[in-house]
Amino acid sequence: MKKKKVLSLIMATAMVLSLAGCGGSDNSSSSGSDSSAASESGDAAADTADDSAADSGESAASGDAVTVEVWSNNRHDETYMTQKVEEFNSTHSDIQINYTIMADDWSNSIQLAYQANTAPDVMAVSASDGLKLSEWVGAGMFESLTSYIEGSEDFKTVTEALDHKYDYLNSIGDDIYWVPTGVRSGTRIEYNIGLLKDAGYDAVPSTLAEMVEAAGKITANGAGSYYGVGFTQNGFGRWLEGIGEMSGLNHMGYDYENGVFDFTEWAELLKLGNQFYANGDVLPGSETQGVDNNRALFAQGSFCFWGNASQEAGVFTDQFPCSFDWGVAELPTMEGTVKGALSCTPNFGWAMLSSAKDKEAAWKVIEYFGSEEFLKGYFEGGYSAPLGSYMAGKIDASKTGRLGDFALQDYEDVYPSVPTVIVDGDDYAITMWNVILGNLDADEAVADLNTRYNDALERGIENGSCQRVTIAGFDKLHPSKGTAVYGE
Amino acid sequence: MSNKEKASLPAKPKRTFAQKLQRANSRGDIATFFMLAPSVLLLLVTSVYPFLWIFRYVCYDYNGMNAYYTGTRNFTRMLSDASFWGSVGHTFEYALLKIVFIIPLALIMAVLMNRKIKGSGLFRGIYFMPTIISTAVSAMVFTFIFAAYNGILNAILRSTGIISQNINWLGDPKTAMWSVIIVAIWGGFGNYMIYFISGMAGISEDVYESAQIDGANGLQTFWKITLPMLSPMLKIILMLAITGAFKDYDSILVLTQGGPNDRTKVMFLYIYQLIFGSNTADPQIGYGTVLSLTAAVIVGLVTAVYQFFARKLDDVM
Repeated sequence: MKKKKVLSLIMATAMVLSLAGCGGSDNSSSSGSDSSAASESGDAAADTADDSAADSGESAASGDAVTVEVWSNNRHDETYMTQKVEEFNSTHSDIQINYTIMADDWSNSIQLAYQANTAPDVMAVSASDGLKLSEWVGAGMFESLTSYIEGSEDFKTVTEALDHKYDYLNSIGDDIYWVPTGVRSGTRIEYNIGLLKDAGYDAVPSTLAEMVEAAGKITANGAGSYYGVGFTQNGFGRWLEGIGEMSGLNHMGYDYENGVFDFTEWAELLKLGNQFYANGDVLPGSETQGVDNNRALFAQGSFCFWGNASQEAGVFTDQFPCSFDWGVAELPTMEGTVKGALSCTPNFGWAMLSSAKDKEAAWKVIEYFGSEEFLKGYFEGGYSAPLGSYMAGKIDASKTGRLGDFALQDYEDVYPSVPTVIVDGDDYAITMWNVILGNLDADEAVADLNTRYNDALERGIENGSCQRVTIAGFDKLHPSKGTAVYGE
Repeated sequence: MSNKEKASLPAKPKRTFAQKLQRANSRGDIATFFMLAPSVLLLLVTSVYPFLWIFRYVCYDYNGMNAYYTGTRNFTRMLSDASFWGSVGHTFEYALLKIVFIIPLALIMAVLMNRKIKGSGLFRGIYFMPTIISTAVSAMVFTFIFAAYNGILNAILRSTGIISQNINWLGDPKTAMWSVIIVAIWGGFGNYMIYFISGMAGISEDVYESAQIDGANGLQTFWKITLPMLSPMLKIILMLAITGAFKDYDSILVLTQGGPNDRTKVMFLYIYQLIFGSNTADPQIGYGTVLSLTAAVIVGLVTAVYQFFARKLDDVM
């Protein structure tokens, strides 16, 4: 009996100690003491001691080199990045890059890591991540790169950093926080050439109404084996939103001239979009499936029209190769003429966290990611398209494969940031998608959006979480050219 | 005992700290303390502390980085938030339907699996397997099974002549709730089945033999012996099932994201979406915390009501 008690006491002590070991700091001296304390309690402690020894062995091997932690949320370029990081590490004895690709929920992962003092030194940023720069800068998380950029002629030339300043997207005032080097084109229509021809069309129609009609003919031809269109979960933003932008409707419902939200003109587009569903021309259930499932279905010829941006160049070439000829067309518009800019997405930039331990080393890594040799391979590998004319002139376009089909058009531009509002109820993208699915009335939905978004804007201005922006000389075809005026 | 009698008792001898320690050790108190310490510590760090932490932001718009004071707006917003109260209704609907099906199914399977027949061990393992499979993975598999265009469920139903046209299981408001409930039942009944089997193991064979001698048939044995003697276990299983069903959201997130048109949006899914935000909507942690507290109160009330009625299950014995 007594033996049992002693044994249980030892076991309990071992559990408490191992728990303490789990929560130990990464400081090598403290892990050392943990392991020596735990070494009295068996195999588990021996493992801990081994791990600790391995850790110290690694740090000894790396000598005085500074390790720069780099996190990215890009998986598609993993092969290239890994290869280039290895190249860097083998040629730099003073700086070593520890490159990590993070899972989803990118923004929250970084925020939590920052609060826990485990954030990386450098992180990947793309406009499509939806990071609200003012919040990140307001929280003191980003380091301004302006002084570093000004001190690096090569970086300035190659990335054209000073020409690609987008207010509240990558810069605030004179401070630049990340420099986009690539761009994801606006949305295009990828289509099955054979199915479209069978329906009597040589090209994708130039108006949405005609496209609805074409989808109907294709579906009729398919007789249940294939359909006109495929969407995906919350599919509004994939391409219908782009049609609205090109038709001159307010980007994200924001009226830049008057500084208010006005979704009213979107109602007509939503009614037309709903026709795809009302007529039964959408692949059944595609709105319940993820993007990749629908890509796979497109690639096997289950529907004719699919809308997405330049990432599809690689998708339908390597990930889900199509067994048929597929084309890339510009989006249709409401009236057949382009009246507004299609938003494109600057990407492949790097930000330095304010918690970076060695900021000079972190900048060296960012500089390397923005070097001509690095970017040339990146763009020629088809991982993104060059944003600036300098790199566009340096790459061999014949190596980029189908990415050439997604070349930027004159009417593509970066819109000024819309005020970030905390809106009650569903956001505009979900609300509009519900209209297209036939769950809401278009006119009522846009009226409701106008009320909710403007109420949220006024509240945000009142509590200081956002500010009204108007663009002096706003041109819908060139939205980045105007002058932003901030204030109430 | 009167005060006079108390006064006449000999005074308790005062023990030294070492004696108290020795006494506690001999009673096993120290070992118990150390055994409990890790789980209590974890509970404090991962449950109690976060629960208290969220109180900080109930009066703020907080997006994970910056907090903006909003006074009582989060509370007034909650009262008029049709999406939230709709999600509360969906939660009750989901939980009720799940429990109504999962508990009887688990009980029936437990009775069958508890019989000493060949292969029952294998089937126990098969039925229990969904419990140890990641919910996200199994839900993803079910999105393929339920797929309207090329899903295996529609293919089977069509080939057997049960349906003539494909059903959009996850996209049609009429079928979406049933679809997520089917997945929940599939994922959970094996777990409750094991609980029932372990409860049955505690019922003495003598009782069954006596019933047999008295001429009871299988159904009578089930209703008069098995079920009443399982009542303490049933009480616990039901409580776990109720609290579990009210907190479910992960498989729904994968299957429907709360759609179509919020038809499958349950409380904690709505809260999750608010707190984590999306590309077109900022995180609303402040409001999410208010809803979390309200949801906790709702689940607590449901549990309390259940406990009140469940006392009767103890009296069955």
